[in-house]
Amino acid sequence: MADAPLEVRGLTKRFGSTTAVDGLTFAIEPGRITGFLGPNGAGKTTTLRMLLGLVHASAGDALVEGVPYRRLRNPARSVGAVLEASSYHPARSGRNHLRVLATAAGIPQARVDETLRQVELEAAAGRAVRTYSLGMRQRLSVAGALLGEPRLLVLDEPANGLDPEGIRWLRRFLRSFSAEGGTVFISSHVLAEIAQLADEVVIIHRAKLVAHEPLAALTARAAGGTIVRSPDSGRLRERLAAEGIEAEAPEDGELRVASPPERVGEIAAAAGIVLHELRGESASLEEAFLELTGAEE
Amino acid sequence: MTRLVGAELLKVRTTRLFLWLGLLTLALETLVISLHVGKDSLFSLGEPRQQRDVVSIAAVSALISLILGIVASAGEFSHGTIGQTFLVAPVRERVAAAKLIAGAFAGFVLAVIACGFAWGLAALLLAARSVTLHLGSGSTVRVALGTILAAALTGAFGIGLGALLRRQTAAIVIALVWLLVGEPLLLGIAGVERYGPGRVIASVVEAGNQGSDLLSFGAGLSVALVYVAVAGALGTLSLSRSDIT
Repeated sequence: MADAPLEVRGLTKRFGSTTAVDGLTFAIEPGRITGFLGPNGAGKTTTLRMLLGLVHASAGDALVEGVPYRRLRNPARSVGAVLEASSYHPARSGRNHLRVLATAAGIPQARVDETLRQVELEAAAGRAVRTYSLGMRQRLSVAGALLGEPRLLVLDEPANGLDPEGIRWLRRFLRSFSAEGGTVFISSHVLAEIAQLADEVVIIHRAKLVAHEPLAALTARAAGGTIVRSPDSGRLRERLAAEGIEAEAPEDGELRVASPPERVGEIAAAAGIVLHELRGESASLEEAFLELTGAEE
Repeated sequence: MTRLVGAELLKVRTTRLFLWLGLLTLALETLVISLHVGKDSLFSLGEPRQQRDVVSIAAVSALISLILGIVASAGEFSHGTIGQTFLVAPVRERVAAAKLIAGAFAGFVLAVIACGFAWGLAALLLAARSVTLHLGSGSTVRVALGTILAAALTGAFGIGLGALLRRQTAAIVIALVWLLVGEPLLLGIAGVERYGPGRVIASVVEAGNQGSDLLSFGAGLSVALVYVAVAGALGTLSLSRSDIT
């Protein structure tokens, strides 16, 4: 079996008496976009930095394609990482920044101009980075991540400080990267952004894993209710009440039931009640997130 | 390793650090050589020893090279670029080794330029005063070679110190205060001043011309290599163990 693009097993990081990451275990699927969510201070950045070999784990393993990052033969070919927009020498030009990375990684210099084109930063490539807007710096970060044509992108809060046009550009770019078979692991606290992008989500709270599942399953599970339409909704409501199940009637002929669709369907069938619609109710990612991370408050 | 050294040298070349420090070196040389040649008597300037003293200002490149090494190394932390460096080259010991080699090479180049400029300017000004030139004498050439060697050593030493202290300004201030005040005072009291880093580098610069207040060239070079090795090892250890948060 092929190794997961990213995997952590019992990953723990302690800074003095503070436990920043506590026994995380999960693996992400290849070819998918996985959102990495958690409130500020939950341990997302520390986890990503342990995966990328920048922070030493106190315990457990952080693996990229089955090995610790440090043991990758050519990391730039495997993983592209976008960390912080401020990690540049202000006097160095965008092109020279990429030339330094390409030289260190043994990547042909021709890739520098290719990636600059890819992130639409050619015109500003010769300017010192200190003159770049935040959006341009983020694009430069993405260019650096793409230099080695990696199979996996790891992004830490890439939408931070971006204007709507920048966010749209990033979304478009990540979708196209994923559509070509690339794997994306993206941390963010902008839930609406992740809701539009991610196939799966990993949620951590207070240093611990609280959820890892497909986005659709998470939002359905968080809601847990059913929307049902029936020409005989009054009788259905009575039968549900007899089973101890509450139901509201927001509209004529429609019920909102606090029970999974399977159970509602069984009760309706047993009573011979015709249904016109039966579907699980979805929560938004935000509702699901708050339910998972707010429960311990 | 070659590509990592190449990347480190590219970092130095693609900011104005080398340019400004190089210009500072040449400006200091111009000032001192002009004053020397303009002020000294013709009789004194005609002596080979005096001409050696005139061009020995090129040794300031060893001090500038130390600053170059510190800024090149600690600057990675100041600007937050060390994370990207370790992302493309995660074996930190290799990065540290590449930085030490690049620091030594940058110091070497700076000193070659400094010596070439000092010799050229001195020859021009001495000739203008109709003084017979002795700039090719053995002891003068030894100073040039000693200066180049010393600057390579201080470049690497600066890299180690910068990696250890990580704050450019603090590291430069500590180095200068030590060289100008700490070393003469503390080591002088202890009676081991000749073994201080500054005096050891001076003994390499003098390259056999020294008096009794310095170690011999061979002993000085050996002690200097020990200093570079210790600074390099501590800097490497610091890089290897630290979390880049």
